[in-house]
Amino acid sequence: MELLRPSSPEEATGALGNGSRALAGGTELVPLIRDGLVKADTLVEIRDVVPRGVTGTRIGAGTTLAELELDGEIPQALREACAQAASPQLRSMGTIGGNLLQATRCWYWRLGFDCWLHGGETCFARDGAQREHAVFGNDKCASAHPSDIAAALLALGATLRTTRREFAVAELYRLPTDDDRNVTTLAPDELILEIELTTPDASTYLKAMDRRKWSFPIVGVAAARFGGETRIALAGVAPIPWLLDSVAILDEATPLPGTGYKVEIARALVRRAIEAI
Amino acid sequence: MGRSLAQVLRDDLGFTGTKVACGEGHCGACTVQLDGVPTLSCITLVHTVGDREVTTIEGLRDHRLIHAFVRTDAVQCGFCTPGQVVSAAALVAANPSPSKDEIQHAMSGNLCRCGTYPKIEEAIRTWQD
Ligand SMILES: Cc1cc2nc3c(=O)[nH]c(=O)nc-3n(C[C@H](O)[C@H](O)[C@H](O)COP(=O)(O)OP(=O)(O)OC[C@H]3O[C@@H](n4cnc5c(N)ncnc54)[C@H](O)[C@@H]3O)c2cc1C
Ligand code: SF4
Ligand code: FES
Ligand code: FES
Repeated sequence: MELLRPSSPEEATGALGNGSRALAGGTELVPLIRDGLVKADTLVEIRDVVPRGVTGTRIGAGTTLAELELDGEIPQALREACAQAASPQLRSMGTIGGNLLQATRCWYWRLGFDCWLHGGETCFARDGAQREHAVFGNDKCASAHPSDIAAALLALGATLRTTRREFAVAELYRLPTDDDRNVTTLAPDELILEIELTTPDASTYLKAMDRRKWSFPIVGVAAARFGGETRIALAGVAPIPWLLDSVAILDEATPLPGTGYKVEIARALVRRAIEAI
Repeated sequence: MGRSLAQVLRDDLGFTGTKVACGEGHCGACTVQLDGVPTLSCITLVHTVGDREVTTIEGLRDHRLIHAFVRTDAVQCGFCTPGQVVSAAALVAANPSPSKDEIQHAMSGNLCRCGTYPKIEEAIRTWQD
């Protein structure tokens, strides 16, 4: 395997695609390659080409979660989502750009089962182990998106700047279809450069997990208030981060037999989050 | 795939104090410091280390934390201990008198199958004694 260290975004995107992958902190990509779930003959290290750090309302995609956890200027929802994600070592290594692009934690997928999301015919979670799985958007693939940070950015209405375009975080994600099983709209040779934040009047992130620390979200709830309007987004409830247009939409959830409890947790956390802001 | 920092430390350089348990970023047994920052050497590709300084448990041989871990009996099988000490050393370097909450937050990425957590917390709380 080859490791490239480009010095400009153009050089980096020129080297991407065709069996090469961008490497940031590597916390997600290195295990996936080692387990054979991602094939790459070239890694393009993007540390020197993707901005890092916070300037006003702009966050470089190469900023680590540990740096954001300590930043008193960013909205509380994002800070709390970072502080509660993964472990201290992973937060020091992992970047916010990489976090948004992490793959599902569904065990069937991670263990290389030929499931629907891997291009097969069957979602094994539907009749199998499904406690961590989805309650929305789950008719094809019932996986639950694990990013706390994506839910926070969705509630905050953040936008992304890539090497090609600017768009709302919501447009980074798509539900996979029979024809295209990707869960993001990013092109193979497109890099996320910056995240542009809005400034809410108040925001928060609440997370239900199996342990009090270091655990993926069972349900994460981000809420942000802009004047009279409150935006709510959830982690861990659908194959992609899920914007809740209204609290009533929780009544339209389609849980699997083993995930109904997540709807009740979401209800409680949404209520608490709204009270908190 | 390229070799990990843990493989190079253990197999090429003979620094076998650094342990590998899960090998995929979950447990913290392989923690080393890169420029003082606790980092998981099992998922760090060695070619990405660059000119950053690597501190392993061997480099912390004389740290007072080692004595604190022994004094408080914070070691059972000992497999997680090098990683625990490496994380703890970074914590006390930044914050010499961490509170219980701060210890629990900073140490949450180091799992211990033997369940020595209360003793590890005590070792860190009393490391200067
Ligand atoms: C054990 C474990 C527990 C975790 N727990 C949580 C949790 O509780 N909550 C949570 O939210 N997250 C959790 N995570 C996810 C973690 O936060 C991410 O793995 C990390 O942030 C990814 O960042 P990275 O820089 O290491 O990405 P990498 O591993 O380097 O890259 C990940 C992917 O993103 C691509 N990529 C990276 N940066 C860019 C960019 N700028 N532009 C385009 N593509 C890019 C890479 O090509 C790759 O496909 C956990 C991860 C692990 C391993
Ligand atoms: S939930 Fe999705 S990833 Fe998991 S088995 Fe079903 S199709 Fe595969
Ligand atoms: S061995 Fe590296 S985190 Fe477990
Ligand atoms: S002392 Fe045995 S794993 Fe921690």
